[in-house]
Amino acid sequence: MLEKLKAEELRYVGKEARRSEARDKLTGSATYVSDMILPGMLWAQVKKSPHARAKIVKIDTSKAEALYGVRAVLTGAELNYRLGLYVVDKDILAKTEVRHYGEAVAAVAADTLAIAKKAVDLIEVEYEVLKPVLNHMDAMKAEAPLVHPDLGSYDFMKAAFTPQPGTNVANLTKLRKGDVEAGFAEAQWIVEREYTNPSVQHVPMETHVAIVEWKPSDDIVIHTSAQSPFTVRNLFCYTFKLPLNKVRVLIPHVGGGFGGKAGIHIEPLVACLSRKAGGRPVKFQATREEEFSLLPCRSALTYRIKTGVSAEGKILAQKMEMFWDAGAYADYAVNVTRASGYSAAGPYHIPAAWIDAYTVYTNKPYGTAYRGFGHVEFFWGLERHMELVAQAIGMDSLEFRRKNLLVPGNLTLTGEEIFESSGNPRKCLDAVAKSIGYGSLTTEEKAREKRTGRKIGKGVATLHKAPAMPPFTATAAIIKMNSDGTVNVNIGLTEIGQGSTIAFEQIVAERLKFRLDQVKVTIEKDTDRDPYDWQTVASKGLLLTGNACILAADDLLAHAYETSAQALHCQVVDLDHDDKRVFLKHHPNHGVTFTSLALGYAFPDGNAIGGPLIGVGRYVAQGLTNLDKETGQGNPALDWTFGAHGIVVEVDPATGEFHVLKISSAFDVGKVINPESVRGQCIGGMLQGLGTALCEGYIYDEAGHLLNPSFTDNKILTSRDLPDEIECIVVETPQLDGPFGARGVGEHPMISVAPALGNAIQHAVEAELTHMPIRAEDVWRGIRKHEPVDNWITKTPTGSCKSNVLL
Amino acid sequence: MLQSFRYMAPRTRPELLDLLAEYGSRAKLLAGGTDLLVTIRAGVHKPEVVIDLKKVEGFSGLSWSQTDGLVFRPTTTINEVLQDARVRKDYPLLAACAHDLASYQVRNRATVIGNVVNASPCSDMAPALLCLGATAVLSSKSGERRVLFQDFFIGVKRTILRPEEFLERIEIPAASAGVKGDYRKLKRIQGHDLGIVGVAVALKGGKLNIAVSSAAPTPVLVQGLDAGIAVEAAVEAVAKATSPISDVRCTKEYREFMIGTYVRRLLQEVRA
Repeated sequence: MLEKLKAEELRYVGKEARRSEARDKLTGSATYVSDMILPGMLWAQVKKSPHARAKIVKIDTSKAEALYGVRAVLTGAELNYRLGLYVVDKDILAKTEVRHYGEAVAAVAADTLAIAKKAVDLIEVEYEVLKPVLNHMDAMKAEAPLVHPDLGSYDFMKAAFTPQPGTNVANLTKLRKGDVEAGFAEAQWIVEREYTNPSVQHVPMETHVAIVEWKPSDDIVIHTSAQSPFTVRNLFCYTFKLPLNKVRVLIPHVGGGFGGKAGIHIEPLVACLSRKAGGRPVKFQATREEEFSLLPCRSALTYRIKTGVSAEGKILAQKMEMFWDAGAYADYAVNVTRASGYSAAGPYHIPAAWIDAYTVYTNKPYGTAYRGFGHVEFFWGLERHMELVAQAIGMDSLEFRRKNLLVPGNLTLTGEEIFESSGNPRKCLDAVAKSIGYGSLTTEEKAREKRTGRKIGKGVATLHKAPAMPPFTATAAIIKMNSDGTVNVNIGLTEIGQGSTIAFEQIVAERLKFRLDQVKVTIEKDTDRDPYDWQTVASKGLLLTGNACILAADDLLAHAYETSAQALHCQVVDLDHDDKRVFLKHHPNHGVTFTSLALGYAFPDGNAIGGPLIGVGRYVAQGLTNLDKETGQGNPALDWTFGAHGIVVEVDPATGEFHVLKISSAFDVGKVINPESVRGQCIGGMLQGLGTALCEGYIYDEAGHLLNPSFTDNKILTSRDLPDEIECIVVETPQLDGPFGARGVGEHPMISVAPALGNAIQHAVEAELTHMPIRAEDVWRGIRKHEPVDNWITKTPTGSCKSNVLL
Repeated sequence: MLQSFRYMAPRTRPELLDLLAEYGSRAKLLAGGTDLLVTIRAGVHKPEVVIDLKKVEGFSGLSWSQTDGLVFRPTTTINEVLQDARVRKDYPLLAACAHDLASYQVRNRATVIGNVVNASPCSDMAPALLCLGATAVLSSKSGERRVLFQDFFIGVKRTILRPEEFLERIEIPAASAGVKGDYRKLKRIQGHDLGIVGVAVALKGGKLNIAVSSAAPTPVLVQGLDAGIAVEAAVEAVAKATSPISDVRCTKEYREFMIGTYVRRLLQEVRA
């Protein structure tokens, strides 16, 4: 819904506007589920598996049940429900076998947290420990133990996924475009490499938490820190076979999600505890250590790319194999595989492409959605590959990228045509290259090299991402006018910190021609009262909900005009309005105020017309299709947001230690709605991307124990790790179906930070890095051409790790 | 599991000594709490009694005299050390180590004595204290013992402290004032992190001391090298005294390399 308004005619869109909820958050008065205590509330704790794979021989809960203050004890044996977003493969509590370290095997609800903790300690579980399969490449082997021997009997979403019963493959996504073998035959060069990265944790400031009340009437109220209220409700009702209107999901302020709260997690277990405790509300909040293993992570990936290039440096054919480590359950990992599968070549034109993308079960904590939805992981490999291919064929890597970028008229991997309005990857790449002075060092930089003895390198990487969502993804907005002429906007999209609330307020104010302070988008979500939204994921909220807001504003105005026309004895076509009144265009003094229209217009004699003003906007993605399961062809992309990062890094050539001097990022956002929100996403995402580029990753011992489930040895970046200089650049190629031309940019800043860094380091010291994260030691080894250290499943679990103590 | 313990806050030194005599290894001492609370939460320590030192008269602050040198007491915080003008002027190595310890917020609470009695191989304060010839004064009802820090640590998280004893003072000799020195610490991030390896070098009066953290079961001191020693001989002496391991933070190989590199670079710097 591109509005052909000139920038100077816009009053709020594209202008600075303060986030209305910021003051409450900054002063600590915003309420999160973590803060909430309900009357009669019980506290839950979970008994977790200390083993990666084991048979549950016996669970003795008698001592826990006998403890004073314990109100409910649950084990898997009494819970005959199975959960799953796409493949229904997970029990609420492990029943006969545990499949990963930290998996829930029993749970308790008690009067106090201390009693609940003591009760969990009193539960005795007898295990028969089995040999786990930990590495996803090992899990692909024929002799590997099966994580899910019953995979063939599980329900799954058949339109999109293909599990392979009898193996550890939860899904195989295939894509076939053109004749790959012919492309390779024609190619002057063929380069084949493999790239890897481990699992990482989202680390939201607020850990997963829910309070659930399963009332005797089977009316269920769920307060949860989640991204998607309607998905929690939908999956909850699917699991328990309940009508949707019996379950109410409430979401107040959320302390971060990053994909880790996209689906459903602890809510069903807490609900079962409440039911068993006679309907009292029960609260469970994960500890930080539980975030690492009871709750899901981001999948590890092994990505093999084989590229055939012509004498002129054009890519002719590319064969891509992805092996995604799902961990013990499929959750979002199968859809990460699917979405990554159809984007796997980046914003480049690949005439012939062949992709097999596997989601592989292993005995590790399971993978879920994480900002970027697979793109952070595979772009690490892809954009390092572009660098290494360019090096192999003796072409500058920026030039090689430019030569192969998508241009209007090209077809994507899935056969979708790229138009001018799809966005401009070239402008993004050129902008960051210019910003970092790619290709040479300034006099100042040369002097710095001389002074410090360190080498300065500059690298770029491109990125793109489309929302990974069903082709029929829908949302709605409701705008209700109050008697003072202000409006409340209800939407089902959650504010998880991304700042879309203020963007929608700007969009609604712009469209209504109201003042910004007349518009309030409700932060707290309530499935009983808010209109449907699929999920708060995929960087699709601004586009879909933004359009719904525009339609709702139009609907509200249509009702206001209709009533005004009757009140003013005129035709709708002759009416105009401002932030206070609806009036006749040609007699502006003849009008009615919104305050007199808001609840229904009353004539002087008391007769009334109209009723309360409510506008409804419904929007569903347009023109998208399911993908063919054999060829991957179809239209999956609501929009493509293109972007690029450029990095200047300073590397100690002796030790491999490095420091990021500058990061420049550019994104084609279509149209900036709120400049500060875009900048916030840009820097926040970049730093999160830099964290997984530098140091984050799950480390296991050979028995599958997670060795670093805390910030002691799973570091995340701090404000001191910010690059010396940051530049955020926007490109605005309007999206024809975006609100005011806008596209999403929530996930994109995190994508391709790592390869831009790897490329810059390679330019500085020639280290050929193929494994992320890039630790100083990895660079040191790269410089010395030593074998890289793959210590993510380590033989030397020595150190300060105390993970077992915390179980 | 939550731990239950009794909290006690003696006001005087004799009261504290009585409590230590009574509870011994059943008690843990609390100063900043930045290590203790973490280990209690993790179940590593399950003390019956937690004795708070912060209310004991005369246990705070730092002082200097020609006879005792620089003196730290049980609740002297890392930031107090950093803010002290004499430390900055005369004991730059102490400031360098203190500055690399955790984050500003943690340094507000964490104490020097806490950092050493915890006896982590990656202690940041130990290298400075070792290099500067600091003395630990250990007190109990039966009196005082004075030991040098190279005799204080005996293993990973183990010291010579007896259950009824506490580390009452750290004395850094007045003679160590003006020692040239610096500290290098390898970290995974720029923000606060435990040291992967740490090397401190101190040079005065023709003698060279080198201390290394995270490279052996205890912080290690190589002392009394000739100030003019060949760089590679110093590197070798340090390599001989240390025994780094591979763990989740780093490999043995890289630790060895970085210790050598830091020794070389620090020597060049302090001799300049």
